[in-house]
Amino acid sequence: MKKLRVVLVDDEIMIREGFKRLFDWQAHDCEVVGEAADGMEALAQIDALRPDIVIMDINIPIMNGLKVIQLSRMKHPDTAFVIVSGYDDFSYCREALRLQITDYILKPVNYEEFGTCIDNLKISLFERRVSVEAEQAQQEERAITGITRYLQQHLAEDMSLTVLAEVFHLSPQYISQLFKNEIGVGFLAYLTNIRMETAKKLLLATSLSIAEVAEQSGYGDYRVFTKVFKKAEGITPSQYRRDFLEETGKTGA
Amino acid sequence: MLRMEIALFLILAFVACVYFSAGRKSTPLHRTFSVLLVVVLIHLVLDGVTVYTVHHLETVPRSLNDAVHRLFLGSMVLVIYLFYQYIAILVEEETGKPRRLDWPARIFLAVAELGNFLLPISYMVTAEGNYSSGPYMLVPHGGVAFYLLLCAGLLVANRRRIDQKKKLAIGAALLIEVTVCTVQWLNHTWLISGMGITLMTLSFYLTLENPDILRAELTEQKMSMLYLKSQVNPHFLYNTLDTIRIQAQLDGDKKVADLLMRLVDFFRLSVKADRQMVALDDELELLEAYMELMCYRYPELQCEYDIDPDLGGIQVPNFILQPIVENSLLHGLKNKGYRGVVRISARKTADHRMEILVCDTGSGFAEGKKSAIDQMLLTYAKQPAKLEGNSIGILNVQKRIKLLCGREYGLSYTENPTGGVTAHLLLPMNGGNVT
Repeated sequence: MKKLRVVLVDDEIMIREGFKRLFDWQAHDCEVVGEAADGMEALAQIDALRPDIVIMDINIPIMNGLKVIQLSRMKHPDTAFVIVSGYDDFSYCREALRLQITDYILKPVNYEEFGTCIDNLKISLFERRVSVEAEQAQQEERAITGITRYLQQHLAEDMSLTVLAEVFHLSPQYISQLFKNEIGVGFLAYLTNIRMETAKKLLLATSLSIAEVAEQSGYGDYRVFTKVFKKAEGITPSQYRRDFLEETGKTGA
Repeated sequence: MLRMEIALFLILAFVACVYFSAGRKSTPLHRTFSVLLVVVLIHLVLDGVTVYTVHHLETVPRSLNDAVHRLFLGSMVLVIYLFYQYIAILVEEETGKPRRLDWPARIFLAVAELGNFLLPISYMVTAEGNYSSGPYMLVPHGGVAFYLLLCAGLLVANRRRIDQKKKLAIGAALLIEVTVCTVQWLNHTWLISGMGITLMTLSFYLTLENPDILRAELTEQKMSMLYLKSQVNPHFLYNTLDTIRIQAQLDGDKKVADLLMRLVDFFRLSVKADRQMVALDDELELLEAYMELMCYRYPELQCEYDIDPDLGGIQVPNFILQPIVENSLLHGLKNKGYRGVVRISARKTADHRMEILVCDTGSGFAEGKKSAIDQMLLTYAKQPAKLEGNSIGILNVQKRIKLLCGREYGLSYTENPTGGVTAHLLLPMNGGNVT
């Protein structure tokens, strides 16, 4: 897998330094190729460097982060944007979600946990590749595509590398390597990610109880589910559901 | 003969007593009024004295009569000058435009006082009574006319920018003085200038300087200070703390970085306090941030949690746990040098409610304190709303639980058999009557 190129946008130099030096980009197959301190600079950097990932503060001088994303989106449809926001501009985050931002994180940034965010990005980049391949109806299906589809379909069941190995007649080590090479994240990170995505969809689109959502997304014990969800999203499943419903209530959607 | 002068003096002396015993903000306006009151009182005494001496021309030596008359009219010009000054400051406060006529007013005052003490004085004796006259009478006439014209000019020039009530106060005072002066001018022997000045002072006292207004101003000032204090932008605070945290981590100081992270968490969570009800999990998160910081400051302090995980999503009134725990620390464990344990547990009760216990191993209640607190929590509704003080935290918690969840819920305290106290928070499972 080629290294992902990252551009950091924040008007505070300390925050950029923190990102640059406190997070192990190397270990996550990424490298920081550029920085910007305001909206105009960010636009120029994105155009010149064509990064895979842009870490973007919203509240920046000259032109706010969302505007930069809006303008860059058209020219660089494949770039992933991660919004970094303080609680003071949390309302922007909702807008960000509507703008199809790949991910958002809240300040204060916990650099140890930032890896999860990068993993999520890699998974969404992978999924985009898969859907492009499917559209082009490419020759033979690759092993990883089959495995991930199988995972999607059997999400609610007990899942492990051993189970996959039996189904696909491959060694667990090989499958593990496949994930690392093709997607760039470990098997468990991938599994957690798609379980969380499913859970979020269920929380918003259905009125299933938290326990039922937990079960359908592969967590027998819903306390474990709540814990994992909270770690991934920063809020509990019930809050997630309530916040979203409140928000749509407010906008009249 | 002196009846009116004595009555006026007594009235204003009473007003001065009330005025000086009331608390007030120290503003140029109130300071001017204080000076004005004192000078008017002196003026009224001199007024009485001159009314007496002028009617006893044959017994009182001429020089003494001259002296008190000159002092009397000198103080009168000073009083009128102070009235002008008061109105000018009032107009300045209202419009925000600086006063420009201070120097002309002061120079005129100096010239008038000089004239008052130098110009010749004579006395008129009539059947209705005696009065002083002569060129020195130019001083009171000129002074009153000059300053009243200045005041009227101020009022007219700024009529659009002055509050209606204050405009009326100034207008009424001017009208009174003009009327009295006209009457006095027409009837030289009436000697009612003191009445005009007293009425003018009274009209300002009643409209702009009475104790109710002074108290309201003070309260407003206090409230605005509190308001300002609560308005220090919390985002500035935690954004700055976050920058310091990153610097600490860049410098390799993980411990400091972690502590700052917890502090930022604490602020961030308490800033969210604009919601009435929050999930128990949120409440606990705030508490954990607080306790972790306290435990770091006092290493022998321990905190234990025993929370039924099913209760995490239950809605509880915002900000009820931290004040209770803080109370346990400050009134229980502090006395033991912060050595001990705070245990927070949450469980379902048999009758389908939720009980949260905050149990500490502190010093327990002092003699008689338990019943005082029980009484306070029982009669929470009658307790006045306090802005500061000792039990404000727990009283506030009690009030909010009763208000948001219903009267059957609330806070109570018991003593532990092994020492220390336990706070019991009884809460509904469905968030109560307010959703």
